[in-house]
Amino acid sequence: MKRFISSHRSRAALVHPGDSSHLGLVVRIMAALVRISSVCCRGVSPLLFRSCSLIRPLAVQKKDRDCPYLISAKIHATPSSYAGSGSKAASLHWTGERILSIVLLGLAPVAYFYPVPAVDYSLAAALTLHGHWGLGQVVTDYVHGDFKIKMANAGLFLLSTVTFAGLCYFNYHDVGICKAVALLWSK
Amino acid sequence: MCQYVVFLCSRTVARQGLCLSRSQFGVLYRHAVPMGTTANEEMNKFWAKNTQLNRPVSPHVSIYKWSIPMMMSISHRGTGVALSSGISAFALAALVLPESYPYYLDLIHSMTFGPQFLAFSKFALAFPVAYHTFNGIRHLAWDLGKGFKIPEVYRSGYIVTAVTVLTSIGLAAM
Repeated sequence: MKRFISSHRSRAALVHPGDSSHLGLVVRIMAALVRISSVCCRGVSPLLFRSCSLIRPLAVQKKDRDCPYLISAKIHATPSSYAGSGSKAASLHWTGERILSIVLLGLAPVAYFYPVPAVDYSLAAALTLHGHWGLGQVVTDYVHGDFKIKMANAGLFLLSTVTFAGLCYFNYHDVGICKAVALLWSK
Repeated sequence: MCQYVVFLCSRTVARQGLCLSRSQFGVLYRHAVPMGTTANEEMNKFWAKNTQLNRPVSPHVSIYKWSIPMMMSISHRGTGVALSSGISAFALAALVLPESYPYYLDLIHSMTFGPQFLAFSKFALAFPVAYHTFNGIRHLAWDLGKGFKIPEVYRSGYIVTAVTVLTSIGLAAM
């Protein structure tokens, strides 16, 4: 960041208000600039601030005094009051999905070599949750409108609950998931 | 500490020239209007407005040329939904049906049309599981940031398909 500022000092500039609560705004302006500059410039890696400047220098120098108008733009900026209080829920959900996928991947060989009730119930839980989250993504992609989204998610929750209940019932009162697969394949 | 000013440029603006003198740096800041809505809210507004106006959706999947990555992606989703439905159906059956699992298994076994049918149905069960599993690993690799170059995408896709077929055949033979 410092290298960028010093090398482009005469041409580029960044708003640097003393108030740090505007930092989020600054970051987003910078991000917008970088994105715009990657359209403007033919540089390969504008993101590294190497091959192009963020603004057209020539016009700036010349019209410094006599340009009367200002360009305004709507920028997506989280209001400064949000800074720091933003929810990490979505990000954590994403990470949880990946971790669960890996857990499920590991459960498969374990289920083959150790078909015990603990594995049966773990499989029931992991499969149900993985399916629930996966179908949740499908709902998010294809269902639009507040009410419809709520209804779809409620239905999905009901389905997943019944699924988990059924699998646990099967594990308890019947042969269990591992044995069921083994029996199915022995025929 | 020097003070700097932000320049927002677009293609046309860059040609016209964007300027600011030091005394006006606060003014540009005021002219940059931050939007108070989230992306989610704006998406909902878009859908609400367009469905309310009954606007037709432009053709997209019906006209765009299908590619291997596209087909594999929707297959991943398709197998996922199918497997999930199968598990839910199985769980529901476990709750509703009176007899035990071995009973129904023997019932189905007595109705089968021969070993080929059994082998085929094993293949039909193993294939979606194998595909979703191996393509899932491919997805996890992408989540780590690996394999995004187009030739890599195709190569990993072919490998996943080949391994899926081989695994399914192997499992069906067991």
